[in-house]
Amino acid sequence: MRDGIKFDKVPPIKGRDALKKKICGSLIAFFLTAALFGLSQAKAPAKAPKITVLNPMGQPPPIALVPMAPRLDTLDGKTIYIVDVGFTDTHQLFTEMKTLLSEKYPKTTFIVKTKSGTYFDDDPKLWAEIKEKGAGMIMGVGH
Amino acid sequence: MFKDLVTTYAAKKGMPNQRFTFVPHPITGTPAETCRKFLQGNDPITGKPVLQEIVAALTTPLSADDKKKGFIEMPTPRLVDPDATENLERLFLEKEWTDGLPIILPTEARVAEMLKGTSHKADEPVGRMQASSPHPAWTYTVEKVAANAVMAGAKPEHFPVILALAATGVPSIFTSTTSFARMVVVNGPVRNEIKMNAKIGALGPFNQANSVIGRAWTLMSINLDGGAHPGEVYMGSQGNNLMYNNMCMPENEEELPEGWKPLHVQKGYKPQDSVVSTFGGWGIIHADQSFGKDFYSQIPTWLTWISPFSPAMLLLDPTIIKQLNDREGFKSKEQLIDWVHKNTQITVGEWLDDFYSVQNFILPGGRQGREPVASWMKMPKDAKIPRIASPNNISILSVGGGTNLFWQAADFGYISSASVDKWR
Repeated sequence: MRDGIKFDKVPPIKGRDALKKKICGSLIAFFLTAALFGLSQAKAPAKAPKITVLNPMGQPPPIALVPMAPRLDTLDGKTIYIVDVGFTDTHQLFTEMKTLLSEKYPKTTFIVKTKSGTYFDDDPKLWAEIKEKGAGMIMGVGH
Repeated sequence: MFKDLVTTYAAKKGMPNQRFTFVPHPITGTPAETCRKFLQGNDPITGKPVLQEIVAALTTPLSADDKKKGFIEMPTPRLVDPDATENLERLFLEKEWTDGLPIILPTEARVAEMLKGTSHKADEPVGRMQASSPHPAWTYTVEKVAANAVMAGAKPEHFPVILALAATGVPSIFTSTTSFARMVVVNGPVRNEIKMNAKIGALGPFNQANSVIGRAWTLMSINLDGGAHPGEVYMGSQGNNLMYNNMCMPENEEELPEGWKPLHVQKGYKPQDSVVSTFGGWGIIHADQSFGKDFYSQIPTWLTWISPFSPAMLLLDPTIIKQLNDREGFKSKEQLIDWVHKNTQITVGEWLDDFYSVQNFILPGGRQGREPVASWMKMPKDAKIPRIASPNNISILSVGGGTNLFWQAADFGYISSASVDKWR
């Protein structure tokens, strides 16, 4: 609508095509600029300013290395303890282990012991017994 | 699945080359015949025969490394190498220093601002925390706590509560194969000073202080004791969604009737003290009936879901507390606790046979003569004993806005409290 007159088609306007070209050119230029700007933005992280932040981790204690117990040259004639730390309903694994190892190493004595208390508790009495009577220990942990 | 746990754990204990052999998991309840096949088969990790590995572990000579003594220092640098924000955010995620949600990067400026929330010096030691009792205890300073508080979105006014929480040394993430959760309760004037919400929606995501203090505890537990890495340190098989915020809430002290002490006063603090308290447990359940004529049967019925190994907590809306006080005649938390303890019972038979945790953690103590477990073990199977072992294992907290007569129960138990005022 223009001044109350309805046009079926947009009337030819002088210089319209030239204007159209200018607009298209401007749009292309705009998009090119925008694309280049976008590219430069995409690269930004590499050029972004570096910041310094604190490491949020606490301080672990130093690790005190513990030399491992000497190994046995043979199992023959030795006593080996198999210690069950006491998870519920797992003892059968250790009795089976004793049976199989005894079959395979008949000259070795295998003794199954369950550590007293819960699996959190220490059992110095058992450790003393193993040090006195045993040559080695297999400890079973888990459920 | 336990390989990373046991190898890193052995290394932390000073034996990085400790020798292990694995069998298929689980063993609990596995028949002897199957166990035998496991032992006759191969280690599922190395592919070598199990028995052969066991014997080799006993007889293969030690290497020079196996015999080493001395100390390995594990210094934590104060700062992360400078980088762009985006890269640092990615680094924090990759290092598993977050809870997976976006964090505020702890720049020196932000941490300095956080430190204004306390009179304590940045390098002052705050405490020691360990992922669970067998793991080594890590230490941390005020500044390290501040870094985690910034990450959680906390403000300086929240910092004394967060420092007090850190000072308890209690980890929010407690590693076990069960999936523990924690709870933090704030009492005293600080609740109102930092605008915590103890009323409508207190346990929901509606209040900045409730949210960020709870989250800060999780981040501290991830970072200050190194307890976050699933499969290496954290072993909770399913995890626990409560770990995101630890049910952080202030107690609704203002609506407690006379004679009903707020939690911190129960624990020996003065009413005007500001205190943070920690609880541990697993889950929470909603009771959908209001207290009515059946109150005396309702509580014992609802608490049957709680394992006899566990403590119990009643999270009561102030409206219910008012009814208990005015209508039912319970004039203190202690009186209600005593009633709950005496009236939630279990038979010795159920207690002995039905609960894995009782068998693992309680009965071994009874076998060593610990009371009352030793006596309970000798009782007839139809005899009744308390479901909750001691009144000390029952907690009652006031929380809510009084919109209805609802309450919730949790299998959570009190762990410890710490003064917030000390950290102002």
